[in-house]
Amino acid sequence: MSINSETMKPVTNLERTSAMHAAFSRFFQGEGARRLRTFAPLIVLIVLCILITLANPNFIEPRNLIRIANSSAVPLTLAMGMTFIILMGSIDLSVEGALSVAAMVLVLLASNDANTNEYGWLAVIAAIAASTLIGLMNGIIQTVLRIPSFMATLGVWFIGLGTSVYMLGGSAVRLMDNSIRSLALERFLGFPFAVWVALAAFGLAVIIQYHTRLGRHILAIGGGEDVAELSGVNLKRVRITAFAVAGFFFGIAGVLAAAQLGQSNAVIADGRLFAAVTAVVVGGTALTGGEGGVLNTLVGVLIVTVLANGMVLLGISPYIQQTVQGLMIIAAVALSLDRLRLKIVK
Amino acid sequence: MKKLSNMFAAGWVQGAIPPALLVLLIIVVEIGSPGFLTGETLGLLLGNTAVLFILATGVTFVILIGGIDLSIQAVASLASVILAQLLPSIGPLAFPVAIASGLVFGILSGVVHVRLRVPSFVATLATGGVVAGMALLFAQGRAITIEEGGRLSTTWINGTVVGVPVVAILAAIVGLISFMALRYTRFGRHSLAVGAGEPAALAAGINVDRTKIIAFAISGTLAAIAGVILAARLSSGSPSLANQLLLPAIAAVIVGGTAITGGLGGVARTAVGALIISIVRIGMTFVGVNIFAENVVFGAVLIIAVAITIDRSKIPVIK
Repeated sequence: MSINSETMKPVTNLERTSAMHAAFSRFFQGEGARRLRTFAPLIVLIVLCILITLANPNFIEPRNLIRIANSSAVPLTLAMGMTFIILMGSIDLSVEGALSVAAMVLVLLASNDANTNEYGWLAVIAAIAASTLIGLMNGIIQTVLRIPSFMATLGVWFIGLGTSVYMLGGSAVRLMDNSIRSLALERFLGFPFAVWVALAAFGLAVIIQYHTRLGRHILAIGGGEDVAELSGVNLKRVRITAFAVAGFFFGIAGVLAAAQLGQSNAVIADGRLFAAVTAVVVGGTALTGGEGGVLNTLVGVLIVTVLANGMVLLGISPYIQQTVQGLMIIAAVALSLDRLRLKIVK
Repeated sequence: MKKLSNMFAAGWVQGAIPPALLVLLIIVVEIGSPGFLTGETLGLLLGNTAVLFILATGVTFVILIGGIDLSIQAVASLASVILAQLLPSIGPLAFPVAIASGLVFGILSGVVHVRLRVPSFVATLATGGVVAGMALLFAQGRAITIEEGGRLSTTWINGTVVGVPVVAILAAIVGLISFMALRYTRFGRHSLAVGAGEPAALAAGINVDRTKIIAFAISGTLAAIAGVILAARLSSGSPSLANQLLLPAIAAVIVGGTAITGGLGGVARTAVGALIISIVRIGMTFVGVNIFAENVVFGAVLIIAVAITIDRSKIPVIK
């Protein structure tokens, strides 16, 4: 056995060492470098803010900062849920399905222009419950039918999106409940309520990850499922709970999105999936699981939103904003991944 | 349940499940709407499956090496834009240019993944964004209609040869070449080896990096071919032309029985998977499912199909 691993090592090094790689490892070696890598996303965020401010001082005006906070609210809430799934080494593609179902339930139960329901804040609870159920469904399909989460949640995405389009009859329904609309319109200490709700969701996610057994079990599963099982972690229960928790966060995001938009329609969730995954990954959480967390994701969401805001301020053509964002993802991930630990990159 | 999965575990039974599902679906649709199995509808079915199949074949190569390619929709859309933009000025030469763009961006994805050591999920998500931005830029954000002049060189794609749509023949040629490449070339065997176990492949002296980059190059090229065919069929190119095709293409690969973890599967399975996806899509219209509820049925069938066809004995940990 030992002979095998001895003979394999030189081959690996020979194959893997390119000039660029060597440069990388020179920069990122030892304990200090390890800490540097952990903080790479934060450094990227700060440098980004400084550069944009230098180019256009309007960036740090309170009005603009509030705008950034406001447009981070929904992505932050979504990415909180997504972080737990990615920490487990799974993926949840049903984000858009869950979000649109929550928005649909909210709009159809609160006062609206399509029917006579007026359940007010009960509609918010129902919306979040519906989305949590969808998360639960993901978890049960994945663990009981034993399907990779990629495919299980892909199917649930279509089911969720289809259900909401069917219930809305393919049209847009307006949300007319003023107290729910005030989530987006009313302000507290200068920030819209939606921002405070997103921050509360963030706080909840921090508590779940760092102060509950569920959070530690999720990390354990992501770090190595077989080891976690041998240590007595109930894999099925943790997985199902994690997907339900993710659904819960997607539900909150759905309520916020519907309140911000003032309606629910077939495209309310468009593009949210890739935005959420991008934020999580840019923040430094590894897709292989077991590394990173919700604090990383907060930074990731801010990087993505600040970048988008900055490109508008700098007058960059909207057409190439996606290109810049793509390059940004590559740079952020290439800088923050710990390649010494990830022997095989898939 | 246990007994059932034991029964499915035998190798050949597992391989026979996706085709059996396909036959079953055809029978169900035929019963639900007699007349489905006529030559005309079958031609329509093959024509509609062609683009999906070509995209899925490209992704098959990447999934076989254990990666994933999320950039194919953007690459296909970019190819459609390039074709529509260049047809008026350089005529049929626009075809090779558009397809070459796919090759270039496929290699780019591969290089980012292999050299910068970024996981393929993120690498292709990012290159997909880069490519989508370029498509938007080239097209100035709008759809470009292929005018009369350019349409002369695209009409042959929309024709039929003895009743068989030309697109279906093109898809068959692409499928056949890919099948041969995977089964009878060194690259094909190396791909399967890399997917089945990268450390072992490295130890055996396989150039893993090159194999991976070739797989991404093939995926990009086939995505561009699919984009060109799509543009010719719709007589227009647009930066969002293929946006709805990424996930169905991946679904086709998995439903066909290729393991998402790599190392097991092939083009023939993807052909069956693509037909299953497309029959479910078209069949719903035939059977009369409410158009707004179609996605619900599609999602449910997708989960059931994967639950039946996936070979669990080859996946150690289900993530």
